[in-house]
Amino acid sequence: MASDDHMTLIDAPVGTCVRIRHLTSRPEIATRLRELGFCENAIVRCVMKGYGNIICEVYNTRVGLDSGIARRIHVSVSE
Amino acid sequence: MVHDARRAPRFRLVALIGNPNSGKTTLFNALTGLRQRVGNYPGVTVERKEGRLRMPEGPEATLLDLPGTYSLTPGSPDEQIATDILLGTARHTPPPDIVICVVDASHLERNLFLVSQIIDHRIPTVIALNMVDIAERSGIRIDVRSLARELGVPVIPTVASRSEGIRELIAALSDLRGANAPPNGWRLPAPVERETDELAGILEDVHHIAPAHARHEAMTLLTAESALLDRMDRFSPEVIAHVRRDHAKLDFLGFDRRSVFVESRYAWIKSVCMQSVARNPAAGMSLSDRIDAVVTHRVWGVVIFLALMAIVFQAMFSWAQLPMDMIREGFDWLGARTASAMPPGDLRDLIVHGGIAGVAAVVAFLPQILFLFLFLGLLEDTGYMARAAFIMGRVMSRVGLHGKSFIPLLGSFACAIPGIMATRTIDNPRDRLATMLVAPLMSCSARLPVYALMIAAVIPPLKILGFLSLPGLTMLSMYLLGLVMALLMAWIFKKTLLRGGPPSFIIELPPYTIPSLRSTLMLMWERAWLFLKRAGTIILGASILLWFLASYPKLEGGTPSEKLNHSFVGMAGRFVEPAIRPLGFDWRIGIGLITSLVQREVFVSTMATIYDVGSGESSGAGGLPERLRESKNPATGAGSFTPLTGICIMVYYVLAMQCFSTVAVMRRETNGWKWPLFQVAYMTALAYGVTFIVFRIGTAIAGGGV
Repeated sequence: MASDDHMTLIDAPVGTCVRIRHLTSRPEIATRLRELGFCENAIVRCVMKGYGNIICEVYNTRVGLDSGIARRIHVSVSE
Repeated sequence: MVHDARRAPRFRLVALIGNPNSGKTTLFNALTGLRQRVGNYPGVTVERKEGRLRMPEGPEATLLDLPGTYSLTPGSPDEQIATDILLGTARHTPPPDIVICVVDASHLERNLFLVSQIIDHRIPTVIALNMVDIAERSGIRIDVRSLARELGVPVIPTVASRSEGIRELIAALSDLRGANAPPNGWRLPAPVERETDELAGILEDVHHIAPAHARHEAMTLLTAESALLDRMDRFSPEVIAHVRRDHAKLDFLGFDRRSVFVESRYAWIKSVCMQSVARNPAAGMSLSDRIDAVVTHRVWGVVIFLALMAIVFQAMFSWAQLPMDMIREGFDWLGARTASAMPPGDLRDLIVHGGIAGVAAVVAFLPQILFLFLFLGLLEDTGYMARAAFIMGRVMSRVGLHGKSFIPLLGSFACAIPGIMATRTIDNPRDRLATMLVAPLMSCSARLPVYALMIAAVIPPLKILGFLSLPGLTMLSMYLLGLVMALLMAWIFKKTLLRGGPPSFIIELPPYTIPSLRSTLMLMWERAWLFLKRAGTIILGASILLWFLASYPKLEGGTPSEKLNHSFVGMAGRFVEPAIRPLGFDWRIGIGLITSLVQREVFVSTMATIYDVGSGESSGAGGLPERLRESKNPATGAGSFTPLTGICIMVYYVLAMQCFSTVAVMRRETNGWKWPLFQVAYMTALAYGVTFIVFRIGTAIAGGGV
């Protein structure tokens, strides 16, 4: 697993929770992500990975993201 | 117009807004019943749906179903429409007098994001807290009174699928007087709040924007550089300079402007939920979790997906066949009865061969449309559609398409018309258009008779490797040719005309629910009716026109073949011959190309007429393959249907837009003639080009002897 400093959502092991530190996506994608609850400091649970995508849960909602997007969501391990 | 609506003693326009998957459509159906009207917003392909809302007393109100949206920061044309109408900036629709905001009780936090933006605008609002039953089952209890107090607007719990809470919701609408009480409200960090207020004040003073809207505008301007660039021509240079100074100031103070507004809203939402929501999550995995573990599984996910697609395909291809045959036979019978009841003449021919045959051509599509929308409705309502898009996302994104493009393309194997209509589930307009543009390249069932005739006529029944037959392989290659070309063209369109960012994939996976039969039936009815109304008239018109062109000028006496040759269509066939000769086609094939514009399979009956087999129309292709094989070109004495000609005809039919009905549906779905005409042009060019290449290569290989 990547070191905590460079961890992104794609590195989060299935079943764990992570806290979002910042987004480096394109502005319109970052806006959409934030509106869906992927905003800074939100807790995200990684539910499943597969088909080049990732399913995670934020605010009780499941969202599927492609790995390109997940790689631009920087996270840290949530305690 | 706007002010008239405001001045009326009772409200007239109620707008329904909510997140996607919040049960908005079900609530709309429950509130309006069958009193609905579906249309398009001017200039865009976004669907406009409105219905009558019956109030217990007083006049009826119109309920407008706004497109689902996650926020008032529009990300798509659908969301732009919803936002414009809500803020009163849409030219085609007055601002609503009341807003019903549908909120999914199980996903309160996310849904309250939109609510907080609506409340900011001080539009009179009632909240329908929907699907409270599902929330309670998953251990979420919401204190409705406390929530209403925190938000400052009435909150009515509903279960739209069982019509629970509908009466209370309507009563709350009637009781609503004036704007919302100011809510306890959300707070920005002090320096951001200060700059926002100041900028809002300037916007009010300089550009006379209403206070509630000015604040929204100020936040949008402060959030993103792109928002400022978009609005350069709308605001005065002083305002723009002010915004730039604010950007610099907030950046200097260390605020992330792009996230601070969203974060502050979510902080407020958290505090609202702390007050009003008690969570007692059920132990272990929920049912949705358990279903997802299988349905999105690496192996089982694909197996289940393929099995479901096989069922959809089977239904459209085989199950729809029986009702389609019955419809055709019914109209044949009606045509025969009409023919025997009327004296012979032009009027009889017009009614039988133009009118009745035209109506039959339209109605025959209905079974496939109904079947596809039955499955689409069920897949969407159960929540499976989002999973299917998830599974197909990777594969489809290779050619720049969305995971949701898969099902419309699959449906197009039966018929491009329901396929194109089904692209409405794709949110991104560029992805949707790319899917619609390539959908008719999938070999539809109307091409099957053409392939079958050509294969029977010119492909020898040889066995390859002992178990594969050459005719079967030829058929398969035609289907593959269409599929490969569709994916290739989609890739080209997404690289050129419809270039956007790399296809990105963010999709909500709603919890699984039991589909509502009522909603599915209404969807089927709505789509079928739209098709009959819009496409039907064009198809009927085209059919009558073609009948006229194939019947006039009249030739007294003579065989049907001679009559057809003498007609305008016959002339047209000879007229286009120089253009199609490079493809190896003669004027008789030219006639077939023209008559099959109504429906591709008409090619078969036209060939039967030209080659004087049976009476034409309903006697099928019996004996026709032999006739075609034996036919000689009078000029050269060589066979006019060589294997190469047959293959060229098939290749042409795979790729050409030989279908008025699809053009009519494209016009309706894209709301204009631009895209259907482009589609006809590119497909015809593609068909011509590829057929030409095949013919040249074939001729070269056979040394000109084929």
